[in-house]
Amino acid sequence: MKTGVYFCNCGTNISDKIDSEKIREEILKLPGEIRFRTIDFMCSEDGKEALEKDLKENGMERAVITACSPRDHENTFMRVLSKAGLNPYLMQMVSVREQVAWVTEEREKATEKALRYTNAALKRLALQDPLEHKEIDICPDVLVIGAGPAGLKAALSIAESGRKVVIVEKTPVIGGMPVRYEELFPNMECGPCMLEPVLGDVLHGEHSGNIELLTISEVMDVVGSYGNFIVKIRRNPRYVDADKCIGCAECMTPCPVSAKNEFNYGLDERKAIYLPFAGALPNAPSIDNAICLRAKGRDCRLCKDACPVEDAIIYDDAESIIERNVGAILVAVGAGVYDCKKIPNLGYGSMPDVYTSSEFERILASNGPTEGEVKTAQGKRPKSVAIIHCAGSLDENHKEYCSGICCQYAFKFNHLVGKKLPGTKIYHFYKELSFPGKEEFTLYHHAKEDRNTAFVRYRDMKDLKVEKKGAKKAVTYKDASGKKGSAPADMLILCPAVVPAEGSGSLGNILEATHDKFGFFEELHGRMDSAQSKIKGIYLAGACQSPMDIQKAMSQGMAAAGYILSGLVAGRKLEIKPITAVVDADRCSGCRVCMSVCPYKAISYDTEKEVSSVNEVLCQGCGTCVAACPAGAVKGNHFTTDEIFAEIEGVLA
Amino acid sequence: MSGKPKLSMYWATACGGCEISLVNIHEKVLDVDANFEFMFCPCLLDTKKKDIEAMPDKGIAITLFNGAIRTEENEEMARLLRKKSRVLIAYGSCSYEGCIPGLSNLHSREDHFKTIYLDNPTVDNPSGVVPTPETAVPEGTLRIPSFYERVKTLSDVVDADYFIPGCPPEPHQVWNVIEAVVQGRQLPPAGSVIGAGASAVCEECERKKEDKKIKKFYRTYEMIPDREKCLLEQGIVCMGIATRSGCGALCPKVNMPCTGCYGPPEGVLDQGAKMIAALGSIIDIGDVKGLSEEEIAKRADAVISSIPDPAGTFYKYSLPGSILKGRIS
Repeated sequence: MKTGVYFCNCGTNISDKIDSEKIREEILKLPGEIRFRTIDFMCSEDGKEALEKDLKENGMERAVITACSPRDHENTFMRVLSKAGLNPYLMQMVSVREQVAWVTEEREKATEKALRYTNAALKRLALQDPLEHKEIDICPDVLVIGAGPAGLKAALSIAESGRKVVIVEKTPVIGGMPVRYEELFPNMECGPCMLEPVLGDVLHGEHSGNIELLTISEVMDVVGSYGNFIVKIRRNPRYVDADKCIGCAECMTPCPVSAKNEFNYGLDERKAIYLPFAGALPNAPSIDNAICLRAKGRDCRLCKDACPVEDAIIYDDAESIIERNVGAILVAVGAGVYDCKKIPNLGYGSMPDVYTSSEFERILASNGPTEGEVKTAQGKRPKSVAIIHCAGSLDENHKEYCSGICCQYAFKFNHLVGKKLPGTKIYHFYKELSFPGKEEFTLYHHAKEDRNTAFVRYRDMKDLKVEKKGAKKAVTYKDASGKKGSAPADMLILCPAVVPAEGSGSLGNILEATHDKFGFFEELHGRMDSAQSKIKGIYLAGACQSPMDIQKAMSQGMAAAGYILSGLVAGRKLEIKPITAVVDADRCSGCRVCMSVCPYKAISYDTEKEVSSVNEVLCQGCGTCVAACPAGAVKGNHFTTDEIFAEIEGVLA
Repeated sequence: MSGKPKLSMYWATACGGCEISLVNIHEKVLDVDANFEFMFCPCLLDTKKKDIEAMPDKGIAITLFNGAIRTEENEEMARLLRKKSRVLIAYGSCSYEGCIPGLSNLHSREDHFKTIYLDNPTVDNPSGVVPTPETAVPEGTLRIPSFYERVKTLSDVVDADYFIPGCPPEPHQVWNVIEAVVQGRQLPPAGSVIGAGASAVCEECERKKEDKKIKKFYRTYEMIPDREKCLLEQGIVCMGIATRSGCGALCPKVNMPCTGCYGPPEGVLDQGAKMIAALGSIIDIGDVKGLSEEEIAKRADAVISSIPDPAGTFYKYSLPGSILKGRIS
């Protein structure tokens, strides 16, 4: 086996500290056909050419590159090996610049260290196998779970590139939370209007043919991996044909039964056949089977009789299970808000006129339960409003994090209350204020300059108490400086912590995607890769990953679309890197120790053969299962036990 | 003397169980006799060392060498039998990997002598005599073989051709090896483990295995384990996952955990280390998200402390044959 040891001087970076002549002398004493050569700057064009020429001319079969960190130039030199006609995995780099020259003061010691590392590399290199990249066919279609801003933005972009997208949405409407908000921070734009271009394009735009929208539907099961997922979706009946329905709402008036409208947080009622709010899209009602008289066996057909379109209402619509093949999955299921009943001193649920911000958004909306009118339970206009920031946020007894969006909507409320009810006294109780960005300060400035607005900074949630004084309510408090006081509050608006959406736990289990300690979907890397989950092929966008505003959710949706479009290209195969774990089925005893250690869920268990196997698409080659396997049945390609021990022995020799 | 190939069996530092295991092949012993001249076995026959010394080199076809190398005499016999045998087989866990005598590598020779000859409450040794290789007596100098600092395996002192694991080896596996030799079948390359499988005991264990998460370990007297479920999943330290197959999972069959006597599975260098790595992967200390390192360590310690005698549990049979070979003082 002819092995070349190529020593890079890296200018004087390496040669200043390591005596290459001494290395040459010692290396050439070792058994085997070894060639030694120094090259000044091996990563330069001249250096690469020299390396390639030397490998070819001398018929080298393997190469040790004694140079910089493999993080820097492993790929560079692997490509040179390929050009020279060698398998690129028959190369071993020795990081003598970062790990020796830059950290070892004495030249003699540095040379000794470099020699030991080079010896280790030679020992391991002799055992290395040539490895090949593999390719598999992929499905370029995409599943988007959740039809909020993040999911829709991504779906639309992917569809615009000519790719098929399946959108699964749990509710009967699309647009997520912002379509329920009449005005949005920071520029007081109307939510449904701002989103309309996206919603419209998804429903009937130029590329909507590439989008399959499944509302009132849920993902039940996912099998497979990146490039080839099979998704099982439960599609619940709408009982209304959304294509035929013209959205006239004639059907709703005669319906004899009603229930609390969950889209308005139970602040008003809706019929069994209903649109959650005026302007909801798709513009077709749905029938709530839980209260519809027909579901109770009664022969009511008032809605169908009122419908001017034939067969728009389908009484025999039924649940169906459908299967779709996709290559990537985008999770964009949004978030929920913290249950304010867990902070009893704020009076939520026990006193009238204490609302969460979500409820108050609907109260402000002209299509909401009060048609935009702000009034107390007794029908009076409130003279004083208290807005409690940080309700559950920045609180070690509730949620430790800052929810990030609350300050801005709180000052939006300030503006809207002031506009609707001039002269109303507004108190902001806050722990911290946060509104970074170039546009986000404006609403705060308005509030700060408004003479009817007062700010009270509190330290701890227990320093606030909402109390009833006769017919009036007041917030008694101890502020951050310890001063006690009381502020009248005919109405209270709580800004609850943003928390993971209900059901994101079970969805995570289906996808095998992990959650962080707060229950949000866990990103691959918080700063660098927040739009990817830890499972390859499963992407994250919007508040399911962390509390965020519309701007960030939209950007993350686009980021995920970017990953999907660049990673899965129709007609192109998926390349699989060969550094993966491999189970030797003959040696596997079926003990299943490996199953729980894989962070990428790449290991599955064949119950018939009673052996584990590694999915090489999902495997990232981390080696955790290799170390855990007590039977020595899992081999880490390029990091085999024999290679590692040979390397250790080479260092110690 | 017949012209049959010669078979010998020797015990070094051993308990005698290996000899019993050979006899345990029952009536097949007659086949052994029909095919071999069983000519040396201090436990059963009266042949002496001098008789072996008198033989030509490679005069013995097969030697089954059991027992670990604890003393100078053990090594001397190993060297003699290596010289006289065409095939030298390390028979049983002691000669293969050190076994129970090998656990004494957790202490020094001096400590052993102190415990055995000086501190032992049933020993009366007022002049503090401990064994020494040479003792001057009026009649001259008495010599006894020296007691090594550490227990070694057979292959630590001579080249062994094959290794038959087990404490003791199972009779059907012993017979498999003898039969292969008798039938003249091709033996695997020298240095191989024979008379065993290549996988782990779990392969032969019929208990139902699921994904493993262990919250607490139990000693066998603390519970009566479910007979269907994997013992390890019930918190019993069963070494089966890190032990070579071949025994037929006898211990788990009778509701007792595997203690590891067949040594590491093929390709595993250190049975104890592998077991520790595996347990480290499946110990369940609950959700640690957000916990400090100290708290995580405390929880892990709480689980680990439910394993008494880790060295004696994980290295019960394999300490001298492991990477560290014993306590590094």
